[in-house]
Amino acid sequence: MRSAAAAIGWEFRRRHRWGLLALACYPVAMAILRIFLYASGRSVHIDDEQSFAFVVAVPLTATFLYLVAVFSFGLSGDLSARRSIYPARMFTLPVTNSALAGWAMLYGAVAVTILWAATRLLALWPSGIEVPVIWPALLAASLLAWTQALTWMPYALPGLRVVVTILWLAAIDAIIMIALNYKAGELVMLAILAPHVPLAYVTARYAIARARRGDEPDWRPLLRVAAPRRREHFPSPSRAQTWLEWRQHGRSLPAAVGIVLPFELALFFVFRDTPALVFEMLIVVLTTPPLLAVFAAATVSGSSLTKFIATRPMTSASLIAAKLKVTIASTLAAWLLVLVATPIALKLSGTWPLVMERVHRLVEVVGAPHAAIAMLLVFVALLATTWKQLVQSLYIGMSGREWLVKGSVFLALAIVAVIVPAAHWAMTNRRLVALVWKAGGWILAIIVCLKLAAAASIVIRLYDKQLLSDRTLILGALFWSATVFAVYGVLAWTFPEVVIRRYVLALVAIVAVPLARLSAAPLALAWNRHR
Amino acid sequence: MSESVIAISGLTRRFGAKTALASVTLSLPRGAVYGLVGANGAGKTTLIKHILGLLRAQEGTVRIFGHDPVADPVAVLSRFGYLSEENDIPGWMRVDELIRYSRAFYPAWDDAYAEELRTMFALDPMAKVKSLSKGQKARAGLLIALAHRPELLVLDEPSSGLDPIVRRDILGAVIRSVAEEGRTVLFSSHLLEEVEQVADHVTMISGGRIVVSAPLNEIKESHRAGERVPTLDEIFIAHAAGAEP
Repeated sequence: MRSAAAAIGWEFRRRHRWGLLALACYPVAMAILRIFLYASGRSVHIDDEQSFAFVVAVPLTATFLYLVAVFSFGLSGDLSARRSIYPARMFTLPVTNSALAGWAMLYGAVAVTILWAATRLLALWPSGIEVPVIWPALLAASLLAWTQALTWMPYALPGLRVVVTILWLAAIDAIIMIALNYKAGELVMLAILAPHVPLAYVTARYAIARARRGDEPDWRPLLRVAAPRRREHFPSPSRAQTWLEWRQHGRSLPAAVGIVLPFELALFFVFRDTPALVFEMLIVVLTTPPLLAVFAAATVSGSSLTKFIATRPMTSASLIAAKLKVTIASTLAAWLLVLVATPIALKLSGTWPLVMERVHRLVEVVGAPHAAIAMLLVFVALLATTWKQLVQSLYIGMSGREWLVKGSVFLALAIVAVIVPAAHWAMTNRRLVALVWKAGGWILAIIVCLKLAAAASIVIRLYDKQLLSDRTLILGALFWSATVFAVYGVLAWTFPEVVIRRYVLALVAIVAVPLARLSAAPLALAWNRHR
Repeated sequence: MSESVIAISGLTRRFGAKTALASVTLSLPRGAVYGLVGANGAGKTTLIKHILGLLRAQEGTVRIFGHDPVADPVAVLSRFGYLSEENDIPGWMRVDELIRYSRAFYPAWDDAYAEELRTMFALDPMAKVKSLSKGQKARAGLLIALAHRPELLVLDEPSSGLDPIVRRDILGAVIRSVAEEGRTVLFSSHLLEEVEQVADHVTMISGGRIVVSAPLNEIKESHRAGERVPTLDEIFIAHAAGAEP
């Protein structure tokens, strides 16, 4: 290695080579597809914004977020901690603060610029949407640079990093949105964005200088109003483990909801004169817990199994049970925040009558009992979705295999980048839609068969390895069956048979209630714990 | 002959092409201190991970108190005290929370003894683990390893990188465990003078194989050169070099 710059660059390349390679495949695949289609004399036009979003914006955003995580060292650092997430081992290298900050920022800026250039050149289809040339690259570089600078800064309180970074990036986004709203041209956008990268660089250099000399203020004693209490002993190992899980991961979702919710609720005051926007915001508020649960799930399942936990005298199933209890508590705590704060915000902003008017209209149309039950069902569905988001990837995280975690992330990205646009295209083909609708029952039946086969295989393994007792297996099966029947009953009550056949509803109920992936969690943990 | 606390037979473990343990057979009867010594990478930690059930035996069997630690972790780990060099107690816990949490897992937890150890180690109950020095963290780990008076105490390089006072505390705890309570201790270290101070029996491991396993006195006698009894250091170096002293 000839220089510090080469060494820092080499580390990024070496650690993330497979991820970067996989991401590079998308524009290349798109380019090959275009060449193939043009060579065969076909043409593809994407005229609606939704298709454009699926083919370009969604993969581009996902790739950009990955690059942000890579070049800010977010994949290996603790975002909620007070200390800088810049790797402390690099502080002892004989290089200046400018070099530590500058090279990582430069490589990041080059990577996002290449990403934009490659997407624009290779992955864009002819469309009626006017795509700018340079400023999106500068915007990406600016957002990345500020993320780096703000996440490398030491903070006086845990979690402050996330709040400061989100607020600052949201402020930059708001400026860009306003400029776009006023139809700002390329030059104006460049002028708005130009100062950001140098300013972020100066901030990053200052952040690293502080982190390097251990300048890490601590405001926690100022916030401590009372001395920590001494508590009673735990009555059982299970309660102790649940307490540990809650302290480690349980507060992530309620905390995330608590951070995001005030900003969303503030918009009720801004949009109070526009009923349509009030309802859109209400939908955003109600979908916040399930959406944030996707990210919080990473903390619940992604933490490595330490020797300290692995050597607790508990079965793997009990360790998983503690996690599941905590996910239920997390879900309830997050929803409690929403249920308490939203009516208060609606009342204070004066938008409560708008919501009540819609409720009364619903009561008039379907009657009070149906309206009440429908609203209750929507709430239960949102609650269940939030919990499902938290637990459905538990089996991947608990396996402790990096290749499995990364593989699942790439699979999810592939689904978004390839299957979703393909499905979207299929939806525009009437014959295909009719065919799928006709074969819907069969498709569902195949999915149910696959799910039940996977579940049976997992249960046999759980039984063979004695990870769950016979009683637990039987109770689990009974509880799952009861839940499926309950969901089926609700669906049958909601949808008349003339709309959807009963057997289809039964298949939907079986698909909707988690089984295979949830049952696989103890197996995955045992696989990780006893390697 | 008393029942073996640890009974390992024909244990082989490979990581890819590398054989970390090759047909290791070991039996540790109750009530003595066993020193497990070997160079870095010799296979000491891999062997201890099998004893803890953190690694599954690819070939051979591992039985602790007659139980398979992988199939029955609760039966094994509840009678275990474990302290390792890489002390990974969650940093956010306070010392009193660590004691409260650990206590729940062990029916034999002795509150008075835990408090005695905490006072002896000068651990502030309100201090967070992450704010403790390396030595204090080792003491906190030792406290939770000892306070339930385990039948088997496993110490994996416990004093590596620690100051002499903490090392004295750890060795003192080992000696007290055995002398006063007749428990079994497996002590892995490459600080051979420490092992020499406390071990009754020494197992030397090299390249994944057990090269010597016998009472310390026997090992020393068998390596005696005239009047001079060699130190464990000298015996170890001689074995590592493949020659007798």
